[in-house]
Amino acid sequence: MKGIDLALLRRLWPFVRPHRRHLVRGLLLLLLGSACRLTLPYLVKLAIDRHLTPGELVGIGWLAAAFVALGAIEMAARRRQMFEVDSAGQNALLDLRRRLFRHLQRLPASYYDRTPTGRVIGRLTTDVEALNELFSSGVVTVLGDLVFLASALAILLALDWRLTLATLLVVPPLGAVTMFVRGRVRRAYHAMRAELSAMNAFLHEQVGGMAVNQMFRREERVAADYDRISSGVRDAQLRTVRWESILSAAVEMLGSFTVALIVWFGGGHALAGGGAGDALTLGTLFAFIEYMQRFFAPLNDLSMKWAVLQNATTASRRIFALLDVDEALPEPAAPPPLPPARGEIVFDRVSFAYRGEPVLRELSFRVAPGERVALVGATGAGKTTVLKLLTRLYDPDEGRILLDGRDLREYPLRELRRRVALVAQDVFLFEGTILDNIRLGAPEIDDERARAAADRLHLDEFVARFPRGYQEPVRERGKNLSAGEKQLVSFARVLAAAPPVLALDEATSNVDSHTEHRLQEAVHELMAGRTSLAVAHRLSTVRDVDRILVLHRGRLVEEGSHAGLMARRGLYERLVRLQGMGEEA
Amino acid sequence: MRELLLLGPAFRRYRWRYLAGALCIVGAVLLRLLVPRYLGDAIDLLRQAASLGPGVAAEPEALRPLLVRAVLWILGVAAAGGVVRTTSRLLVLGTSRRGIHDLRRRVFAHLLRLPPSFYAARPTGDVMSRVVNDVQFVQSLLGPVFLYLAENAALYVVCLSFMLGIDPVLTGLGLLPFPFALWRARRIAAEVQRLSRASQEGLAEISARVDESLSGQMVVKGLALEDFDYARFERRCREYRDLNLRLTRTRARMQALMIGLAALGPLVVLLAGGPRVVAGGISLGDFVAMLLYLQFLAGPTAVLGFVLSSLQRGRAALGRLGELLATEPALADPPAPAPLPPGGGALAVRGLTIELENERGEPRRVLDGVSFELPAGRSLGVVGATGAGKSVLLRALARQLEIPPGTVFLDGADLTSLRLADARGAIGYVPQEAFLFSASLAENVALGRPEAGEEEIAAAVAAAGLAKDLPQFPEGLATLVGERGLNVSGGQRQRVALARVLLLRPRLLLLDDPFSAVDAETTEEILAALAPLMRGRTTVLVAHRVATVRRCDEILVLDRGRVVERGSHAELLAAGGRYARLEARQRARAELAAGLEEGGEDEER
Ligand SMILES: Nc1ncnc2c1ncn2[C@@H]1O[C@H](COP(=O)(O)OP(=O)(O)O)[C@@H](O)[C@H]1O
Ligand SMILES: Nc1ncnc2c1ncn2[C@@H]1O[C@H](COP(=O)(O)OP(=O)(O)O)[C@@H](O)[C@H]1O
Ligand SMILES: [Mg+2]
Ligand SMILES: [Mg+2]
Repeated sequence: MKGIDLALLRRLWPFVRPHRRHLVRGLLLLLLGSACRLTLPYLVKLAIDRHLTPGELVGIGWLAAAFVALGAIEMAARRRQMFEVDSAGQNALLDLRRRLFRHLQRLPASYYDRTPTGRVIGRLTTDVEALNELFSSGVVTVLGDLVFLASALAILLALDWRLTLATLLVVPPLGAVTMFVRGRVRRAYHAMRAELSAMNAFLHEQVGGMAVNQMFRREERVAADYDRISSGVRDAQLRTVRWESILSAAVEMLGSFTVALIVWFGGGHALAGGGAGDALTLGTLFAFIEYMQRFFAPLNDLSMKWAVLQNATTASRRIFALLDVDEALPEPAAPPPLPPARGEIVFDRVSFAYRGEPVLRELSFRVAPGERVALVGATGAGKTTVLKLLTRLYDPDEGRILLDGRDLREYPLRELRRRVALVAQDVFLFEGTILDNIRLGAPEIDDERARAAADRLHLDEFVARFPRGYQEPVRERGKNLSAGEKQLVSFARVLAAAPPVLALDEATSNVDSHTEHRLQEAVHELMAGRTSLAVAHRLSTVRDVDRILVLHRGRLVEEGSHAGLMARRGLYERLVRLQGMGEEA
Repeated sequence: MRELLLLGPAFRRYRWRYLAGALCIVGAVLLRLLVPRYLGDAIDLLRQAASLGPGVAAEPEALRPLLVRAVLWILGVAAAGGVVRTTSRLLVLGTSRRGIHDLRRRVFAHLLRLPPSFYAARPTGDVMSRVVNDVQFVQSLLGPVFLYLAENAALYVVCLSFMLGIDPVLTGLGLLPFPFALWRARRIAAEVQRLSRASQEGLAEISARVDESLSGQMVVKGLALEDFDYARFERRCREYRDLNLRLTRTRARMQALMIGLAALGPLVVLLAGGPRVVAGGISLGDFVAMLLYLQFLAGPTAVLGFVLSSLQRGRAALGRLGELLATEPALADPPAPAPLPPGGGALAVRGLTIELENERGEPRRVLDGVSFELPAGRSLGVVGATGAGKSVLLRALARQLEIPPGTVFLDGADLTSLRLADARGAIGYVPQEAFLFSASLAENVALGRPEAGEEEIAAAVAAAGLAKDLPQFPEGLATLVGERGLNVSGGQRQRVALARVLLLRPRLLLLDDPFSAVDAETTEEILAALAPLMRGRTTVLVAHRVATVRRCDEILVLDRGRVVERGSHAELLAAGGRYARLEARQRARAELAAGLEEGGEDEER
């Protein structure tokens, strides 16, 4: 059982179980098809023995009709069977993907801080596809194969047991040879694919750095490197060609040798019996050859299925390792009745570190319901981190954060995020229309409401330039919108959702003065009437708020109104001087 | 079929192998078809024995040697067939791999000649698709497709001649379903290939969705958009499942077709031929051989559908590759290159105007009549707003961009009259975006001079201000960096690119904002370290920080492609123009940063 872990594969069963009906149907159809497949040669045998040899034509029409019928049934059964098994597989894997994605959504931000995205994506794509092979290559219906093999063997024995045993004695060594060659083919392919992907990686890099290559006059050297790598690929390919050629010849020779054997044993036998009744008839000989060939086909497949099983084991190990990551932020099992949403925020001696390095140190402040507060500080002071803690993307290491008098950890995450809306610094647009991006699938926000929110921020001004207006599709990551327009869309989202608390991380990107003006108005509109904690980069924003908190290295160093802080001529005053400079050159 | 001309060299070079391969294919087919022949003989023999009836014991024994002969023939023919068949595959498939290696080299050599503007105009993925996918399609054209076509042609010719020899009418009847099957197979194959591609794209789509969700998780989590995000992912997955099920259904149709074809031919023969066997029109052995021939033809006929589809794809790929190879590099050596005159890198730019096409394909004047003289050994600073044309100017000087003749002179020689390699050898250019290869740090520095010694490399690294960062690299200069290595910061990247150029000691240094991602303090250190190196060298230094260009002998202020101010630092400050305003703003910012202690500085993440 090298490389195959049945306990691991058994964990897949819950995903297949709901679709087991397809599987059972597939199996039954497989058996039906096999039965037909096993009967057909027998009909030919009957035709030869009963009709052709003695020259008796009466009744051959029935045989022909049966032949046609069985052929048709086999065809239909096989078509349906492939489809049923694949239905089971595709549906099971769809469920698995759903489950994986839901799991990914539950994993906390800290998990992704230390896990490369590419690896996670690989679980949902490459690894799930490896499991798909279990179905498409017929591993799950291997039972059907075994039944087929047993039946074919029984028929062979019934036809002529001596001939069967004789053939089976001689054929296995030949079978072993093809098995061996098959293994080599697989290994050669494996090596070839590795060379190929190395070559592609090389190409990718050289094409990306082409200007550098040319500037440093490395053309010849790079060409020589490529030559070497490409030769490696060629040689690996030649190895696969070699083994594959041998394999195809071996398979064919195996067939011919079997025929020769049967003729030899069977024919000799028939001669000895002088064509007597119990001896081998011509029809039997023909049928025998056919059955033998049918007997070997699934045998050949078995080694391939073994490899599929090994791959599937590796893939499921990775998939379940991911599913077993149990790091979700704890949520209250039975949430206590929550206070009505008023929008009061309290940070109570909150300390936090991402990885060892403290980012917030004993931070305490309170934001009254409806109050608008700006967070100001240099890059890296910890402003964004405050918002991340407020929306519970992370939990504080020490201290606590209260929303309406209740610790954040007592809120179900969904409820918390309904009360506190985060506008992140980097606007993120989903694929879909502009309106979709405002509604974001919230059932309570209909098109009317989304449009009303957009109108309040004057989105219609820029939306008008699209032929389809609000129904214009947003291209990949919002390529067809400018930075300012994207921000406006992200503001409209929040306005439509109308949360009691706003956590706003203002973007720093440069926009033209017209857009700048519109953004200022939008921020004002956004903060109106709701508790707001805004990381501010605009002078207009800090002028607009009730109170300003100045953060320095994770500590609160100054606090007050704009005028008051300016008068103090401290850190804040210097920061504003910087902001007030306007854009460079 | 003109596309196929591209394969000319491959076929010519390997024509003997291909010819031998084709002969082997014919031989293998003949040998394979002999097996039914001898089987038929053996069967007739047995039938003869049977017809003699029981009790004639002596006669069958007389037949035994004949049987032995038949068996030996089968064995011998099978063995020979195996050998010839293997040889044919080795020859044809092997040669296709060799031929494709040649083609790959040819394409890559061409890519190396294409100028930066070619790569700027298309994503790396497109270029990769040419070199990887299209070449793959062509490979199947040279190998498997050729093999199948040759094999099938031979199979058909030989089978048909055997079958016609047995009974023309029966042959005709038996082959009746074939044209229809071929037509169906062709359609199904095209559909299978279409769906496979769609399925691949579907998987890529799923991967893109997951990628999007993970990179947007701040928003997804922060706005509790899990369900929304999930619904979008789920829809893709469902579409993907449906696509795959359709693919399976289509594949099943192909299988059914194969089975049907394999059963239908024999059935027809059975029905039509049965009576003739009984009537003695054809021998039973011939009859059985006929059945087997039909089966031989059934499989390949269905596969032919796929082969024809691949043929079409291969031709399209060849067309695209042909186009690529026909692209003439816009930036090439002059027909009669002038020798590079000796000198210290004196630069003269006279009325340099450059138009580039914007995204909509409209030409835009990016540099407009830029002129300046830079005597050997002097330094020139260039400042200006984003998009002013600083980078374009440097790319033009670095021979990365096509320029009109008679506009740029290096040590008195028109830059366009020099061989590209000569010009690039004399010029050291550090682009704004530094590119690192997946190689060791040392190899990345020694890019232009792989033979450089360790000490030289260390000196260049030190001069570029990278030495103090070395402790961060686990294996020092031997640390693997780049896409598949350690992730290095933007500032470190820039300094590697700088070290690379310093190692070459070119006469003209072109530095495009090499300190944009390096903090002010480190920039100062590097500039101080660079001073002795720059002293004997002509230098053009682009910067966004005034402090960086302050010490240059002359400074140009670019605005929308035009030189709007020029002079030394002191002169420009005194003039009180754009440069002076920029300087005042930046000074205020620097003071502020100093006031906020170390922690208050702009940090590059
Ligand atoms: N996901 C993270 N993992 C590790 N460190 C982080 C992460 N996010 C931010 N930091 C670090 O935390 C500090 C504060 O970051 P942040 O809150 O984003 O600052 P601000 O928003 O005030 O610029 C910075 O030093 C930053 O490098
Ligand atoms: N390859 C290109 N094709 C078309 N336009 C370009 C290209 N490269 C730069 N531009 C345009 O030329 C102008 C000057 O760009 P650049 O020299 O990069 O400015 P900077 O002074 O910031 O370095 C910009 O408007 C830019 O959009
Ligand atoms: Mg921030
Ligand atoms: Mg630039």
